[in-house]
Amino acid sequence: MAIYYGCDIPEDLWFDFERDLWVRFEADGTATLGMTDTAQTRGGKLVNLQFKKIGKPLKQGQSAAIIESAKWVGPFPMPFTGEIVEVNEAAFRGDILIANRDPYGAGWLVRVRPTNLDAERGHLLTGAEAVEKYKQRIVELGIKCFRCVD
Amino acid sequence: MTAPIRILDLGLVSPLRSQAIYHGVAYAQKPETPDTIILVGPTDPYVCIGYHQELEREVDVDYCREHGLPIFRREVGGGAVYLDRGQVFTQWIFHRPNLPASLEERFALYIKPLVDTYQTLGIPANYRPINDIHVQGKKIGGTGAAQMGEAEVVVGSLMFDFNFDLMARVLKVSSEKMRDKIHQSLNEYMTTMTRQLGRTPDYETVKREYVRQVVDALGRPAEYSDPTPEELAVTEELEKRFASDEWLYQKGGLRQTGAVKIHADVYLAEAAYKAPGGLIRATARLREGRIDDLTLSGDFTMLPSVAVGALEQSLRGAALDAAAVRAKVAEFYRNLPVQSPGVGVEDWVSAVMAIKGQSPLQ
Repeated sequence: MAIYYGCDIPEDLWFDFERDLWVRFEADGTATLGMTDTAQTRGGKLVNLQFKKIGKPLKQGQSAAIIESAKWVGPFPMPFTGEIVEVNEAAFRGDILIANRDPYGAGWLVRVRPTNLDAERGHLLTGAEAVEKYKQRIVELGIKCFRCVD
Repeated sequence: MTAPIRILDLGLVSPLRSQAIYHGVAYAQKPETPDTIILVGPTDPYVCIGYHQELEREVDVDYCREHGLPIFRREVGGGAVYLDRGQVFTQWIFHRPNLPASLEERFALYIKPLVDTYQTLGIPANYRPINDIHVQGKKIGGTGAAQMGEAEVVVGSLMFDFNFDLMARVLKVSSEKMRDKIHQSLNEYMTTMTRQLGRTPDYETVKREYVRQVVDALGRPAEYSDPTPEELAVTEELEKRFASDEWLYQKGGLRQTGAVKIHADVYLAEAAYKAPGGLIRATARLREGRIDDLTLSGDFTMLPSVAVGALEQSLRGAALDAAAVRAKVAEFYRNLPVQSPGVGVEDWVSAVMAIKGQSPLQ
């Protein structure tokens, strides 16, 4: 696990660096997606999260959810084309700050079934390469990551 | 990591500010200015006329004066409208490359989050090209577009409520019977969120939903912020101009000069023609069968804003003959990057040629 200026960059996950989200490929062929530590820090404390419907097919770049903090509203874009099979709505209903506390664990957002993965995964980064890219961004943008603890 | 859109949620401001602000933000736009969406409403009612309209033809100015209703001309096409707290204006001020080049596509993009917002409220709204939003055949607000400085502007509103009585009252009409008909038509062919839902939805909830729909439609984040001091300074400068009679009464030139001596070969005539994209009013001074001077006004949209003046100019000296007018208008469209959705060469020809056969104005 790499931590840089407080920002956690887990080396076992895949990252869509441009869209600033993480991907974990599951054994059943689905992929779990969530906000990165830098994304949750830059977005600030969430006040609302709206998911697209389960079963909805989404193209690469289309929003799987709309994330909202007091002063910021952002799309949660699909890193590749796929269909939503599960949303983490119950966890966020119980604790809207869950992605601010645990972005790579309990604060995951959606699970999707990719439908064109081979053609659309070339941009994903993992391991040392991902860590290096994030380190550059963290320095360039002067990001210091914070997690909500209370 | 797309650049966020800046949201300026200004709440309620003076009637003048509610129009001047998007002009000010547009004219103050710099390369580093974020694409901006202003959400704003007026503290008090007023009347707003389209950029190409002649005030006294469209609005009952005396009634407005007597009832303390200010009137402002915007730099956006379209028609005269009565506005109040029942509407939240959604004003987009974007950099040119960040919106579709074609006006039709731009309106479609602009309208999508409005339609989606209405739909989440349970109102079956849909986009009706070129630039309207309909609910089961009834209009729930229109939209307009303009270029100001380097900025591209698209405006419209979230239609919470609308005063149909005063809208019909402030318009200039030929008779009270006509006013009744307008009132009846507004009632039959326009609707609002309040009418659709049987209650007025909470403004803040609807505005937040609208911003979410913008983010979804554009695939870009949005960030709530404030206008810069420079943007406010430019807005204040524009407010001085907006409050001047010179600005408000422009476009009435031909009929107000009073300098035209009418004799057998020189006379003024006017005609109106309804194009798909709006009403065109043509007023011409004719001299020996040629267009000596010409004013074109109406509620159409034409970009860039100077294009109407250029078209008027290009027709001066032309014979009042369909082929001659058509040749001039077609040449104008060939030579200038003009966009006038729903108004084409033949519409201008029809509008100008409708003058022929009209009685000279007294």
